[in-house]
Amino acid sequence: MWSENREVQDGDLVIVWLTREFIQPLQVTAGKLFNSKFGSYRHDDLIGLPYGSKVASSHGRGFIHVLRPTPELWTMALPHRTQILYLADIAFITSWLNIRSGSNVIEAGTGSGSFSHSTARTIGSSGHLWSYEFHEARALKARQEFAEHGMSNVTLTHRNVCRDGFTIVDAADAVFLDLPAPWEAVQHAKSALRKDQTTRICCFSPCMEQVLRTVNVLNEHGFTEITMYETLMRPHEVSQIPSLKSVRQVGEELKDMAVRREERRLRQIASSAASRAKRKREGTGDESDPGEMQEDVSLKRVKTGEGEDGKTSNTRVGAEIRKHSDDHDVGSVDVGGSNSIVGGSGSGRYLNVSRVFPEVRGHTSYLTFACLIPFPPDAILRNSTE
Amino acid sequence: MDSGNSTAELLASPSQKQLANTRGVITSGQTVLFRLPRGDIKSVVLKQNSTVSLGKAVTFHANELIGDPYGLAYEIVNQKLHRLPPKTIQELELTEATNELINDDKVVQPLTTAEIEALKQSGVHSSEIIQKQIEQHANFALKTEYSKEKYKKRKEAKFSKTFATIEPTLYNVCEYWYTKDQSRIRDIRADALSQMLNLASVRPGGRYLIVDEASGVLVAGALDRLGGSGKVVNICNIESAPMYPVVQSMNLDQGMIKRTLVSLNWAMVQEDYVPVLPPTEVPSGELYSDKQTHRISKRKAVVDQLDANRQDFFSGEFDGLLVSSEYDPWSILEMTCTYLSGSASIVFHCPHLQILVDLQAKMKSAGGYLGANVTEAWKRKYQVLPGRTHPTMNMSGSGGYILHAFKMYLIHSALVFFHFRSDVFAVSMIPMHKRYSFTAKRSVRSKNWLQFKGRKSHPARM
Repeated sequence: MWSENREVQDGDLVIVWLTREFIQPLQVTAGKLFNSKFGSYRHDDLIGLPYGSKVASSHGRGFIHVLRPTPELWTMALPHRTQILYLADIAFITSWLNIRSGSNVIEAGTGSGSFSHSTARTIGSSGHLWSYEFHEARALKARQEFAEHGMSNVTLTHRNVCRDGFTIVDAADAVFLDLPAPWEAVQHAKSALRKDQTTRICCFSPCMEQVLRTVNVLNEHGFTEITMYETLMRPHEVSQIPSLKSVRQVGEELKDMAVRREERRLRQIASSAASRAKRKREGTGDESDPGEMQEDVSLKRVKTGEGEDGKTSNTRVGAEIRKHSDDHDVGSVDVGGSNSIVGGSGSGRYLNVSRVFPEVRGHTSYLTFACLIPFPPDAILRNSTE
Repeated sequence: MDSGNSTAELLASPSQKQLANTRGVITSGQTVLFRLPRGDIKSVVLKQNSTVSLGKAVTFHANELIGDPYGLAYEIVNQKLHRLPPKTIQELELTEATNELINDDKVVQPLTTAEIEALKQSGVHSSEIIQKQIEQHANFALKTEYSKEKYKKRKEAKFSKTFATIEPTLYNVCEYWYTKDQSRIRDIRADALSQMLNLASVRPGGRYLIVDEASGVLVAGALDRLGGSGKVVNICNIESAPMYPVVQSMNLDQGMIKRTLVSLNWAMVQEDYVPVLPPTEVPSGELYSDKQTHRISKRKAVVDQLDANRQDFFSGEFDGLLVSSEYDPWSILEMTCTYLSGSASIVFHCPHLQILVDLQAKMKSAGGYLGANVTEAWKRKYQVLPGRTHPTMNMSGSGGYILHAFKMYLIHSALVFFHFRSDVFAVSMIPMHKRYSFTAKRSVRSKNWLQFKGRKSHPARM
């Protein structure tokens, strides 16, 4: 499919990884320049570098990672023409449909080619993928893309399969339908599937109503073992937090604080007594009750001393905030090498922890699967001898 | 790429491939999975001319099954196999019935166990027994249609002598082992396995490093994907190649396994280790019998093969690393990472999240890895029956956790580092061949660099 050479060559498609959210394909062409907000890079500088290199921008301020394309990276980087399939669904479908080296697979529609790339890779040169797209412009674009990517095991046809069916008969091991009305293509799929072995079909629909219609039609056409799944990959965010403080320690800190507060109060009483004595000596003293006023002030302080509790909880919040800036630190130390902040969990000053990201993908589509069992087994060769 | 216009041409091409692809047919010597009426699965090695027993009264002759495609259902009638048509879903007619008038306290089934046993002995078909039970049932008519259906299903599971064969696809085999004993495959559920294989971009012709203490589920998956071309080097914790039960369940072609699978243990993958092996040369001046020389030459072949396998491993440039192991993941990474190609995928699976969390933190601080990412495999199954579609009441808790990252060359991060601190010309101004040595001298990780450079002279990738 793509280059298998160790080093990047002129004309190769590479995947440029700028950040986790910013991944894009790049056709390396001598003499050209690649510009991004992370700096500017001469294609010539990429040529000859091994795949998996980190490359500095010509001003040295930014850097990019040059990766070898894989269908999974392509899925993350491809130009979207339609809603696309992602890794979790693609992997699960591939597995359930038993798509493997040498499989003959049908896919409709092609869409942005996310599933096509993955399947073409998995089946290899001994397998074949027949891909159908009813939207002409998208079909042309996909055909061009497949040719550029050297996907010689893919045949792309511009065709409305719901109306006109597929171009092969009794040949496919598996059919994958990503169509708005998959039930319209089920009978055509049946005729395209081989009849001498168990074959499989998957219909990919976001809505339950579509699933129900599909299930009915699959059942009518003799498909069995109809099952339906949803699958997701739940991403976990890994971060480091300071190892957790004991409440005993918090208690000790509060005790210290109380001692210090009492010392301060006594100091203030002493100093106000001193100043009162001074004023008295100077004869300007108003005899009313400045001392009591001072007492009031310190009493007020004692009251807000409950606020001292608030202050300790503030320090704790402070620690939480530090956790996030540590994340940032960890992200950037990979240049400098070993920074000692990372230990095994529970050892030292920091803990490695994880949580599910606050917002994650909750639904992609329902995957409806079914088998076509070779029955009546007329097609079975052995029968002729019975 | 074909343009897809010539239909006739397209129709011609798959038929040849079809002939080669006959793994969906039962042959003698295969491990066959049988689904029994109650839903449990039994694994049996099918031998020609033998009798297969799947439980009480479910026995048949193996030859009856050989040659059939996988996936068919059978019923045993007079000890003979009778193929059943595939079961389709029956639409149920909705009635007004509810369970309003059904109480649990009274005896509803006058038919005694002894009477049922007598019916079974007399050899009547299971459907007749069920019919009889329904007729005698006091409340059957009161039940809802759904409830009636459930009742019949339950009785069928109890009395019928049916079974179905299950094709040993990677998915089915993984499901079988997961259900049988998920700890034996270290919680690698079929969805997690497929994610791992895709994340590592396992393809025919690729070369992969595998550490598999999950009964061979990773090795089986990779071999299935390679289809006989490429290489899997499995690093194991025992002296000789492990016997993997999951690989056995897959019924993979033995020649194909021999061609693509190599096992090396953790001592053999150390470059400075000199294996302790018996002599392979016939000492001169001593007389040896033919038998002895033959034995020595056979031994030499084994030693030579081991040496070739080690050299192949040390030549590195593997396309991916797949791990499911009970050992410290960081130590596995340290021992294998230098043998991965740049941009290679690193995929670890673990039943425990914390182990991968610690690994990811370590990878981030050590550098040399990109996009380290921990995910959890989640899957939900639905019952899809007309009017009765809902998620199944029980679901598998977790398919385990997966860490994925790309291997990067550290040398170039050193290059960037140098960039930042120096006001000399941008490194990119220096010709490529000089650039390597230029940075290498200053690289903290010169050991890594030497390995990186040394591999340049190795033969091209397979």
